Amino acid sequence: MELWRITYFTVLTAAGATVLMLPPGLLLAWLLARREFRIRVVLDTIVSLPLVMPPVATGLILLLLCSPRSAIGRLLEAAGLEIVFTWKAVVLAMTVMGLPLFVRTARAGIEQVDRRYEAVAATLGATPLRVFFTITLPLAFPAVLAGAVLGFARALGEFGATIMIAGSIPGVTRTLAVAIYSYTETGRDREAALIVGVSASIAFAALWLSNRLAARVATPTRKERASGTPAGLHG
Amino acid sequence: MILLDFTLHQGAFTLDVHERLESRVTALFGHSGAGKTTVLDSIAGLRTPSSGTIAVGERVLFASDRRVNVPVYERHVGYVTQDVALFPHMNTRHNVLYGRRRGERLALESVAAMLEIDALLDRRVSQLSGGERQRVALARALMSAPEVLLLDEPLAAVDLELRRRILPYLERVRDELGVPIIYVTHDRAEVHAFADHVIRLDRGRVVASGLASETLESLIPNP
Amino acid sequence: MPRVLMALWVGLGVAAVAPTEVLVSAAISLTDALEELGPMHTASGGATIRFNFAASNVLARQIVNGAPADVFISADEAQMQVAEKAGAVIGSTRVDLLGNRLAVLATASLAGRIKDARSLLQPDVRRIAIADPDAVPAGVYARQYLQAARVWDEARTRVVPVGNVRAAVAAVDGGNVQAAVVYESDATTARNAVLAFVVSGPEAPKIVYPAAIVTASQHRADAERFLQFLRSARAREVFTKHRFVPLGGFD
Repeated sequence: MELWRITYFTVLTAAGATVLMLPPGLLLAWLLARREFRIRVVLDTIVSLPLVMPPVATGLILLLLCSPRSAIGRLLEAAGLEIVFTWKAVVLAMTVMGLPLFVRTARAGIEQVDRRYEAVAATLGATPLRVFFTITLPLAFPAVLAGAVLGFARALGEFGATIMIAGSIPGVTRTLAVAIYSYTETGRDREAALIVGVSASIAFAALWLSNRLAARVATPTRKERASGTPAGLHG
Repeated sequence: MILLDFTLHQGAFTLDVHERLESRVTALFGHSGAGKTTVLDSIAGLRTPSSGTIAVGERVLFASDRRVNVPVYERHVGYVTQDVALFPHMNTRHNVLYGRRRGERLALESVAAMLEIDALLDRRVSQLSGGERQRVALARALMSAPEVLLLDEPLAAVDLELRRRILPYLERVRDELGVPIIYVTHDRAEVHAFADHVIRLDRGRVVASGLASETLESLIPNP
Repeated sequence: MPRVLMALWVGLGVAAVAPTEVLVSAAISLTDALEELGPMHTASGGATIRFNFAASNVLARQIVNGAPADVFISADEAQMQVAEKAGAVIGSTRVDLLGNRLAVLATASLAGRIKDARSLLQPDVRRIAIADPDAVPAGVYARQYLQAARVWDEARTRVVPVGNVRAAVAAVDGGNVQAAVVYESDATTARNAVLAFVVSGPEAPKIVYPAAIVTASQHRADAERFLQFLRSARAREVFTKHRFVPLGGFD
């Protein structure tokens, strides 16, 4: 039945987008949480833009970037990569719109990790990369996971940017959100209502899970630390 | 031989150290705020001096004139901080093994035996007592085969009875492993019991430096 | 509930605005022509005309749901039927205003190789934009044409349905699709895409733009005056200029 096909497609692309968000998202979250550098505020702002701009605006920017008229578009064409009006555009839109949410949540989690653990790990010979994967990430894991779930939920409900760059092609780029719009535009109100129900249920489940995970963020690192006056690592 | 010849400015505070350490155990003694922890941080690479040189044996860890600043993870420094900071998401064994370098022969069994933590290895960090955490942290630092051991008030948070029990472990480390130790404390008794050489710091400057037995007696105030 | 809100909105509008405004909901393909004709009408003493452009099926739904339009100009009879069946337009005021023809636009590099429906099946024509073939008139006409030309089944997989006919123009203009089936009147609005051919002959669908006065209109007299103006010689000149085919009418 078409509804289940659309649901499956939406969940699959949203999951793909979530996975795609992780490497750049973790890097950005770590940079913003741990590193001082001059353009830090600028970077933070750019990363947060899709959260604040109208999604169609973000979609339009993506469309212009991927069109054969732009420099990037020409590169893509040369590489034989077609993005606009394909499932790749769906994943791209979802990734771009979900990334800021993931970065915000993951960053907060990383900031909560006690830097002393990272410093001690370094004295024990761990390179910054090893410190990140063996100390920072495990200790920030609940927040990172909550961020991923949030990013996934956002990807599931993504509409504005998606319709701009992927359109609403039945069986090819029609996600749940896009289908609701298309169906109401063409008078298929009852089917649209059904999809609204499915979307709402999935979103509810995802948000509930994210909140449960986020609640576990602050507690584990604090309670297991030895008591005593803090080492003067910062003077 | 450890060379500490550097200056570190931080706001209104200036740390000025020019010492050659040749003993097995050097105690850094002084009131809080004197800069003792900052000295340890500088040796470990967690703080960067404004100028000067820091060397451990043949290795130069920091030399401002030659733009040398070895990153923390390459300094081979064993650092037991004041709050111990055992990794809460790993059990004792994984904590102790975290810093083990490939090719280093130091065996877990001998270190665990020396510090009597064999029975603790499979426990979660949260299940350890204060004294046990100290010994585990010490074992963790030792297992990274350091060229110098930095201990920041290791007995400060520990009661008198426990102190008497832990001191022998420190002595064992000193005697059996041959790794030079720099030891921060504000307790005279510890200095007396454990250190060969004492450096007294007051507001960032060295006001006394010499053999433990002698220096303690002379309370030269900073003019 | 929407009707109450609409009535409130209309009431406020009437109270706030002194000169008479006539709201015309018109198919989006009429944008350029009507934006020229509106001020012309006002300049010669008529009411101020405001326009609401969208795909005709969207407009029909709005009007059926009580949107405060005065005139409805649809790009096909089907959507006008929708409005008439719901009693949202006054049947006796309905007139066939314009005709149109379909045209195929293509990217500059491909236009020379696209001469007819069959040539749309070339492998280089990877995607073809049309308005939504389920409900938007331009899309319905496009589908009818491609079906009549017996290429619809093969072409379906490369068809990209978009929201309205101007979106189809934008898609081929931007190079994201290689061809688009739009109205002949839209061909001149394309900036980068090129007219490949105009659809004519037996396969060409009959395109009619009906217009009617909205039942709930508060400015019936002014609305009728504008509709009359649209059928005058001056208006017909403008429509022809924009490549529409004026139907019936008088001086």
